[in-house]
Amino acid sequence: MKIIACIKQVPDTTEVKVDPKTHTLIRDGVPSILNPYDHFAVEESVRIKDQIAEVSVTVITMGPEQARSALMRCLALGADDAVLISDKKFAGSDTWATAYTLSLAIKKIGKFDIVFCGQQAIDGDTAQVGPELAQQLGIPQITYVEKVEIDEKLKLTIHKQTEEGYQILETKPPVLLALLPPTSFQPEHPPMSSILKAKKKPFKVWDAKTLGGDESKFGLDGSYTQVIKTYTPPTRGECEFIEKDDIKQAAKKLSEILLKHEALIKR
Amino acid sequence: MVDYRFSEEQELFRESMKEFCKSEIVPKTEKLANVRRMPEEIIKALAKFELLGMVIDPEYGGLGTDVVTAGIAAEELARADPSCAIPVLFLVGTSWGHTIDKYGTEEAKKEILPKAIKGEQIIGIATTESDIGSDLGSMKTKISKKGNKYVINGEKMYISGVAEAMEYGGGHVTLAKMTPEKGTRGMCLFYLPLKGTKGITPTYVEDIGREAISCGGFDIKNVEISNHYLLGEENKGFYYVHEGYELARGLIALVCVGAASKALENGIAYIKERKAFGRHIGKYEGIQFKLAENYVRIQALRELAYKALWTYDQEIQGKASRFEVSMAIAMAKSVASIWACEAINDVMQWQGAFGYTKECEDQKAWRGVRSFTLAEGSTEIMKLIIARELLGKEFLAYR
Amino acid sequence: MGIEIILDKCTGCALCVKACPFNAIKIKNKKADIEANCTLCGSCVESCKLNAIIIERPKLSNKDLSEYKDVWIFVELRGKEIKKVSLELASKAREIADILGQRVGAVILGEKVRHFCNQIKAYGVDINYIAENDNLINYNTSNYAAILTGLVNKYKPNIVLFPATHIGRDLAPRVAATLKVGLTADCTGMSIKDGLLLQSRPAFGGNIMADIISPNSRPQMATIRPNVMKINNPDFSLKTEIISIPVDIDEKARKIILKKTIKTTKTGTKSLDEADIIISGGRGMGSPENFKILEDLAKTINGVVGASRAAVDAGWRPRSDQVGQSGKTVSPKLYIACGISGKIQHQVGMKGSGTIIAINTDPEAPIFDIADCGIVGDLFEIIPALNDELKKNLKKE
Repeated sequence: MKIIACIKQVPDTTEVKVDPKTHTLIRDGVPSILNPYDHFAVEESVRIKDQIAEVSVTVITMGPEQARSALMRCLALGADDAVLISDKKFAGSDTWATAYTLSLAIKKIGKFDIVFCGQQAIDGDTAQVGPELAQQLGIPQITYVEKVEIDEKLKLTIHKQTEEGYQILETKPPVLLALLPPTSFQPEHPPMSSILKAKKKPFKVWDAKTLGGDESKFGLDGSYTQVIKTYTPPTRGECEFIEKDDIKQAAKKLSEILLKHEALIKR
Repeated sequence: MVDYRFSEEQELFRESMKEFCKSEIVPKTEKLANVRRMPEEIIKALAKFELLGMVIDPEYGGLGTDVVTAGIAAEELARADPSCAIPVLFLVGTSWGHTIDKYGTEEAKKEILPKAIKGEQIIGIATTESDIGSDLGSMKTKISKKGNKYVINGEKMYISGVAEAMEYGGGHVTLAKMTPEKGTRGMCLFYLPLKGTKGITPTYVEDIGREAISCGGFDIKNVEISNHYLLGEENKGFYYVHEGYELARGLIALVCVGAASKALENGIAYIKERKAFGRHIGKYEGIQFKLAENYVRIQALRELAYKALWTYDQEIQGKASRFEVSMAIAMAKSVASIWACEAINDVMQWQGAFGYTKECEDQKAWRGVRSFTLAEGSTEIMKLIIARELLGKEFLAYR
Repeated sequence: MGIEIILDKCTGCALCVKACPFNAIKIKNKKADIEANCTLCGSCVESCKLNAIIIERPKLSNKDLSEYKDVWIFVELRGKEIKKVSLELASKAREIADILGQRVGAVILGEKVRHFCNQIKAYGVDINYIAENDNLINYNTSNYAAILTGLVNKYKPNIVLFPATHIGRDLAPRVAATLKVGLTADCTGMSIKDGLLLQSRPAFGGNIMADIISPNSRPQMATIRPNVMKINNPDFSLKTEIISIPVDIDEKARKIILKKTIKTTKTGTKSLDEADIIISGGRGMGSPENFKILEDLAKTINGVVGASRAAVDAGWRPRSDQVGQSGKTVSPKLYIACGISGKIQHQVGMKGSGTIIAINTDPEAPIFDIADCGIVGDLFEIIPALNDELKKNLKKE
């Protein structure tokens, strides 16, 4: 069975801060990490190896040269080989152009059974590349996947999160799965022996020329959406503290504030 | 120009190490206050992350990495546990495990190393005695042959990990005199198992820092050990022990870097928050000068330390001499504790009265790094080594 | 036409016939033949194992772009009701359509949906495109995407809006990719600028806002965050049109089979993404039983109880209650955080709330950085006292 895991290296947006004077993002010193949703997707795809025989996991990413370290991390987590898809021509890609580029790479890799990816990236937050990639590959998709089980007949049992609980779905390859980790998920930190093994695994770098395809569909030119402006959202004001020395008084004061609030008036 | 970069594996390892420390070490440091014995779960956590056999031959379950990579582990562990207890467990096990790996008999290596790497037993170092530290040639502990055994009599004191070895299992790489009239040329280095050995009577003292690892000593009365525990050849122990000391010293320098760096981070956060006389104290020149001076020293120490460990690796590959290694290591260790203490002391001072209370985290770091002016070789001896290299043997002090 | 059967490759296996929801393919002389009612939805292309079907969508010229008119919404249902977010979408669509001088269309798919048209019209929907079929009762990506794509190709709307719900975020990108158009995710603001749809959305975990346009493709598509757009006052006297599209769904042709649906939220309560008032509990709650005081307060003011990750990790509340980066993003008018420290990961999920109130014993808790009002105190004393005060006053009404 051939699994392809798509990942993205992202800035750690929980560490990003906004400059209070210029209202721009302070990106300096923000570490680049493997997108946490993709980290879970890679670990889940590697877990498939425990469930059935003869599984190989190829991990791919579209990104700049430094995205190599995210791929190395995936190799240390147990993926078998990696492909870095990198070219200046891919810069400025929106989700459609990204999905197109990834689909070319996957078609070049050849026959595959399952595509794993994270539900969304913590910088873009769109959750669009997965389904758009599935469409371009012409395969079904399941999003919001929390758990994947497979049997020897390659029947997949999927635990999918819904707003009100979850669903159990069944399907067979080929399929694209977009994963999001359960709250119990503890990301693995690979020990040195896994890192040393990762260094020995096959690592390819493909540029636009190697991929082939229609160049007009790459990067900014191939993007249907355009960002015309970015700005920081207005900051909330200071917190008004209510003194709590007298509990009853504090509760009374807070209730007065709430009673005047439109949410209560219109409830 | 010199390529100062770490290798890709080393960078990946450091990243993974930081995450390991954040999720598995830092939360456990709360349990370390005053326990006087390393909790078993921490030893197991280190073993699980493959930290206890980093430089040991894979044949015995180790990773066989270079010592610079071990240095990365030391630095990050110290950042996570600035009290230095866990880093000490790591560096002592690493250095003296390496010595056993290099000089031990096959039988001894197979018996000791796999278990130590799995966290099932401890490896420590015991050379100091109540009356001797730097002057190893004057030690009182004696070892003599008895058929296919050795008999040892004497005592060791101010030794880390005695309680851990007595309780969990393991022993200490020990130095003793075989041929007293030959002085330092008549000493043996050997492995002395502690748990269950007849004639070993432990005693304990309370260090002012590094509380989570025990400090103590043991009386050695007619203790018999099998001769397969000898390391290297008889009477050459003084030379072997220095190789072990040097690796330990290099790792210690990085432990000082890690602990001091964490303290400086704490200090920076504090001076950005605290106000006095209407402005953040971080805006005052006096504070800024201290910050800059300490930062430069710690970064310089970091360079010296990694260069020293790199030189140690070079010697293993046959590309550097014994003396080059001794010099590089001595340089790093000669300033490590003092500079770290000064940085942490300044961080405590910035915090005023709070810095003098037990609630302040940084005072733990100070008490931890303060030990390194003496552990594994005193600062004074480091300076003598440096001077010896510069002046030549004829100028050896106390000759 | 834009669709072609490569006759050399076609073997007449009829998989495409089963996949087509519009009954637009027949087998003639052992080969597939596309009929005139084909909507270029693309289902057949995906189903063909021999790559014998090609669809070509040419790039649009400016003249072509101007042929696309009307603002459509995808109406999401919840059991026997229209989901609240659909009303928000209808209201916003009405506002945009008025600026453009165009109509509002609503697409409703399901088992029996005709009666919903009379509800949604009150929020300004001019024309309803409905498809009713027993096999559409549960959402299924390929069926819903095929029908929607077909409708778009046939009627050429200018703009299509989806809710940024689990279904919307699964469906919209599938349709957008098939149509090769731009899609903007999770919009919190929307307007018209120079005749184009200006879409505003948060990114980088909510740390920045981005304004986005899709100038060269039609329809312009976006998903909209629930509980942000205002709902118009309904006017049930408004007229509306209904166009019913016949569809044929072969359940056996489905590649993904729904085996079981499990609900962990309490029946009868509003969902978190629809609530105007959310009262959340965190680690400070201490135990699952203690959540009762939050539930009591919720009952008094018609709110919904949420939870931080710490409370869900501890097993005190179900995952469906979780607010935060790995849970739900909510934007109620009022958010009361009790015993929640307010780490970034939680803030990401609720800082879009109208008013934030925080109660925590730790004055340094980061939640106070984004709260509008706060009490540094014991929630076990304050919440019951607050509940009593509110009950007293609300009784007077």
